[in-house]
Amino acid sequence: MLFALVVGWLGWGCRRAGTSKLEIVLVTKALDSEFWQRLKTGAEQAARQDPQVRLSVLAPEREINIDQQVAILEDQIHKKVAALAVAPAGVAEVLPVLDKARAAGIPVVIVDTDVPWPHRVSFVGIDNRLGGRMAAEYVLRAIGNRGKVAVIRGVLGVATQEERLAGFREVVTKAPGVEFVGAQPANSERALGMAVMENLLTRHPDLRAVFATNDQMALGAMEAIAARNLTGKVVLVGFDAGREAVRAVLAGRMDAVVAQFPERIGERAIQEAIKAARGQPNEKFVDIGTGLVTRHNAPELLRKMEASAAGRSD
Amino acid sequence: MNGPLALWKRTAAQALPRFGPLLALVLMCAALGVFSEHFLSIDNLLNVFRQSAVNALLALGQLAVIVTAGIDLSVGSILGLSCVLAAMALKAGSAPALGIVVALGVGACLGLTNGLLLTKLRLPHPFIPTLGMMNVARGLALVLTGGFPISELPWGFRYWGAGTLWGVPVPVWLVVASCLLFHLFLTRTTPGRDLYAIGGNRQAALLCGVPVDGRLILAYGLSGLMAGAGAVVLAGRMNSGFPLAGVGAELDSIAAVIIGGASFFGGVGTVLGTLVGALIMGVLRNGLNLLNVSAYWQTVVIGAVIVAAVWVDVVRQRAAARR
Repeated sequence: MLFALVVGWLGWGCRRAGTSKLEIVLVTKALDSEFWQRLKTGAEQAARQDPQVRLSVLAPEREINIDQQVAILEDQIHKKVAALAVAPAGVAEVLPVLDKARAAGIPVVIVDTDVPWPHRVSFVGIDNRLGGRMAAEYVLRAIGNRGKVAVIRGVLGVATQEERLAGFREVVTKAPGVEFVGAQPANSERALGMAVMENLLTRHPDLRAVFATNDQMALGAMEAIAARNLTGKVVLVGFDAGREAVRAVLAGRMDAVVAQFPERIGERAIQEAIKAARGQPNEKFVDIGTGLVTRHNAPELLRKMEASAAGRSD
Repeated sequence: MNGPLALWKRTAAQALPRFGPLLALVLMCAALGVFSEHFLSIDNLLNVFRQSAVNALLALGQLAVIVTAGIDLSVGSILGLSCVLAAMALKAGSAPALGIVVALGVGACLGLTNGLLLTKLRLPHPFIPTLGMMNVARGLALVLTGGFPISELPWGFRYWGAGTLWGVPVPVWLVVASCLLFHLFLTRTTPGRDLYAIGGNRQAALLCGVPVDGRLILAYGLSGLMAGAGAVVLAGRMNSGFPLAGVGAELDSIAAVIIGGASFFGGVGTVLGTLVGALIMGVLRNGLNLLNVSAYWQTVVIGAVIVAAVWVDVVRQRAAARR
């Protein structure tokens, strides 16, 4: 009974909103971090520009729940939505369901993590390899081209993670005085990032620098470094540049972070999805670009982020 | 306790244990049918079945364990390891049939190991060996693959997770067949009925000459075997043996069994109830997906349903005790 009421209430809301013509659905890997929340905000802003569009943003509970993401996609395909924008949680695992979307005639924009699927109408994201190279170049400067460096990485086999690692490795392994001691996975989660960092510091007490391939892991690693009073001695570089990480850079607890602009990714993804839904031509690759945040430019970036967050809550 | 509430409770207590979960499922489908025009279509119902298939397979194995008053926390991890080993065998060039044998065999062996650890090492509670196995199997799956998914599997293997037979997804046929076999096993065979006896009163079962240890090993072996079957379906469906497959699946399977009316104290539980339990969870997730409700809310709703289902069980038992 209670259930019927709850579903009724939820369903009523959806039904009333469901009168517009163009239903676009964005399915992210999760919504449990600032990155995805900001991407969602950007997507919603883009959708508001067009009164005919109705956008829903859905995601599995955690980035590792690939089968849950597949189920969500199947259900949306069944509803014959006008277009899908998908950040694939597993590169190979989503291919069968993407083929189903194609069979149902639903255009798919791939977001954030590219997949080897030629039928995507567009890929909206960043050049992750370049981001990894930027992190490596910063690390080499900071440690004076000498000493041990390590990487804490996200779920294995996911293209974004592989690219960031590959870019980083490519640069550091060319520096003769630098020893690359390996990349340890921490599934893009903060608690795991901290645990992996603790182990790295135990195993390599002379570690000079760490590159964590997303903010959550970097923030976890930061706590492990701080707990050993090594802040400032072990160079730490993150990836994403959410507000929390930028504040950490400002406070000197983290050295640098490669910036993504998730609002922009979300916005462009939805613009491409709308184009596809209307049968207009798409840009095949939308490169959002990256930048490096250090103590020098962190105040300005933080001001901008806070202003846009305040603007959102109005 | 007088008045309409008590009366309602008594009536409910008499009707609910048998048909409660089924009734709840029908009501849910009706409600979702009203609120989403997409819900009650053949295509979508087949989607629900397909999405529930892995959980249903795991839940059947879990049922065999739970009726003995046990619990199997390792099924999700066993599924992961079976997925990975089957995919590795296939990548090494083995025939699809051999891949399936590997998945089922690995599952059954790990399940039997659980049972042996429980009975031969005399570990105090099934929680312990299966919790250990949960970690060991997951760890091995990650070690063997280095964490990477093994994708692009041959169609002969994928068919069992992604194919259709007479318009119905193959996994659905597998669930139907497994349900029939489990029903016959649990109700018509001596070993099956012994599982209920052990769960009802272990001491009494022992005194009646039930080979308790052997039956328990069998129950955990079956649970592992079903995890292997789940692995075939999931790897086939996703076209990939990924080491993180089935994370959290043990809790979903336990939830399905409990929602389906089985008792954690053992001795009670049916195949039909368990299937309905798995379908309730599948229908909830699917329906809420169709209504664009976030996965976080789905978790909240499923949690509430578990508590409600057990509460109904408690009410029933109290009413039965009063009579």
